Amino acid sequence: MTDNTTDAVEGAGAIDISKRAEESVVHESQRDREVLLTVKDLAKHFPVKEYSGLFPKTLQTRAVDGVSFDLAKGETLGLVGESGCGKTTTGRLVTRLLEPTSGSIEFEGREIAHLKEKALRPMRRDIQMIFQDPYGSLNPRFTVSKIIGAPLEIHGLVPKDKIKARVQELLEIVGLNPEHVNRYPNEFSGGQRQRIGIARALAVEPKVVVADEPVSALDVSIQAQVMNLMSQLRRDLGIAFVFIAHDLGIVRHFCDRIAVMYLGKIVEVGDREDIYEKPQHPYTQALLSAAPDLNVVRGAVPNERIRLIGDVPSPIDPPSGCRFRTRCWKAQEICAAEEPPLDPEDGKPSHTIACHFPEVKTNLVAEADAS
Amino acid sequence: MTAGPGGVNETLTEVGQVHGTDGATAVLGKTDHGDDGGQQSKSPRQIAFARLRKDRIAVICTVIIGLFLLMGIFAPLIAGIEGQNPTDPHFDLIGDDNLPTFYTSGDHWLGLTANSGYDVFARFVYGIRPSFAIALIVTIVTTIIGVLLGLVAGFFGGWIDRVIGWLVDFVLSLPFLLFAIALVPIMTTYLVPGGQPTSSEVQKIRIFAVFIALIFFGWAGLCRLIRGEVLALREREFVQAARSLGAPTKRILFKEMLPNLTSVILVAFTTSLPAWIGAEAGLSYLGVGISLPTADWGLDIALGQQQMQAFPLPMLVPLVGLLILVLCLSLLGDAVSDAFNPNTRR
Repeated sequence: MTDNTTDAVEGAGAIDISKRAEESVVHESQRDREVLLTVKDLAKHFPVKEYSGLFPKTLQTRAVDGVSFDLAKGETLGLVGESGCGKTTTGRLVTRLLEPTSGSIEFEGREIAHLKEKALRPMRRDIQMIFQDPYGSLNPRFTVSKIIGAPLEIHGLVPKDKIKARVQELLEIVGLNPEHVNRYPNEFSGGQRQRIGIARALAVEPKVVVADEPVSALDVSIQAQVMNLMSQLRRDLGIAFVFIAHDLGIVRHFCDRIAVMYLGKIVEVGDREDIYEKPQHPYTQALLSAAPDLNVVRGAVPNERIRLIGDVPSPIDPPSGCRFRTRCWKAQEICAAEEPPLDPEDGKPSHTIACHFPEVKTNLVAEADAS
Repeated sequence: MTAGPGGVNETLTEVGQVHGTDGATAVLGKTDHGDDGGQQSKSPRQIAFARLRKDRIAVICTVIIGLFLLMGIFAPLIAGIEGQNPTDPHFDLIGDDNLPTFYTSGDHWLGLTANSGYDVFARFVYGIRPSFAIALIVTIVTTIIGVLLGLVAGFFGGWIDRVIGWLVDFVLSLPFLLFAIALVPIMTTYLVPGGQPTSSEVQKIRIFAVFIALIFFGWAGLCRLIRGEVLALREREFVQAARSLGAPTKRILFKEMLPNLTSVILVAFTTSLPAWIGAEAGLSYLGVGISLPTADWGLDIALGQQQMQAFPLPMLVPLVGLLILVLCLSLLGDAVSDAFNPNTRR
């Protein structure tokens, strides 16, 4: 049974990769994208109380501190970075589960960063979220029909007597048995639950889906299935994704563009090929070189590995200038004095790097076909 | 993947889906029909009730409580069999020493009380009524207040939470008994301008005093409990999911969160009901609450206590009744809480 599973997953993966390659060629040629979502200088600071001395001091954790990116129709943007770099917070700001401290979020030309809950409601249809934990994201007291039917009911998309039929249709789309509408979440496995979560997000026919590490809580074999399902949906329904992940392999398969985050800031944005084959920011290079390479097991010479020294500084008191300078091997005086802007370095406006000393480094990751 | 029944089945389903996705083109619409789908499955609440039905203590207690309730509901009928009324005095059967002249008789199955000579059996049958009714109303009202304030405090946080928190602390720090007993003279002073209340006024004031005292002190504990639960629930991803779907706050509070609190509320309800029955009896004993000639177990214990050396029955009968009722309700409450939280099973 295990063999079967592996074969099937690999087979599906291979088809997927070839398709993705074709698509990205097309994508590369047509740079005039139809921008759906523009995020500019987005920041979220959480107040933290520090109890030292007689009076508590209120400090600010700068979880997200000046993030800008845009997302085109049908495009997939990967947000990668280590734990605590602000990926999830960024996702929750875009879906407006959190209100940003400053900055703007423009969706289809409309500013939504500080809208009140009522005014947000129509927008909620267009931007949906898939959550990380399939065990926590479904209400344990609701049947599948109630869970997936909730968005239909809230937005009044379908008349009450037709909700069940629509739910069954959605279940079928995500590859679950439509007869299971009356079951409770605890009767499903993790992968099936995540499919229910995806069906719920699809119910409102969104234009953008923010997927917050949708597969990191699942078994590896099931990860592949859920990822294939999401690729399928993207292809068939033309949904744009903001895909938050720390698994670089999955991001490479799934995303058209990738933004690398470090300590609440984006350090490098670019098309998939640019990021994986010609990374220029030292942090991107270190991150890529840390990804495990299966070829080494098969006997290939291991790639050079960049080892970062020290810990990530606290987001309460981030370093001056470039935030990565405390761990960067290239750091000079200017790095502490001046914050590097996110600039295109190789003449390509689509590939921007926030570094004073960018430098192309290749061969940091194994070829896509092998991974 | 979860172990246990269905685990293997699920694995097979997942593999089936892998083959489905393999086909790449025809995936949408490919489903797994190999399962026993279709039937309505059990909700967590149904499972808990099934567990409760298997608990022998819970069943016995439910039966006893049911009998007591029937006794209260059909009190006029049962007392009618004996042919007595709980509020009728029998001065002719009371001797010069203010004690009844006999122990039990065919007319008065469990004897008479001292002084006025009320029928003990009739008073026992009727006496459950005020205890149970007051306790039930108090429990319902305090549960509603406590759940609402707890939901609001936990969900909104901030200054709302702080204000409700202060109120809870304030209520819980007041001395309950002193407050309850002092309430009657205070209310009399304010409600009866002349200072000379009639006996019907006294009755009304005492009953109101019991309600006010019990409700005032009853909601705070539950409010604090619910607030804590809501704080934990609020961070669960399904609540975030509901928000990202644009669900109004009312829907999140009452449709998403409240069903997840039913077990906590039900346990609080079943454990506080006997507590309020005891409290009502205690206050009536102390002279807040029910007053003569109405029959009430707490009041009758006070009444029977005057003659307990010569005639113990008038005191023992309501006492034992109260004991059994409160014990059964408490055991049932424990059983309910066990049924909903099998992890804490002793």
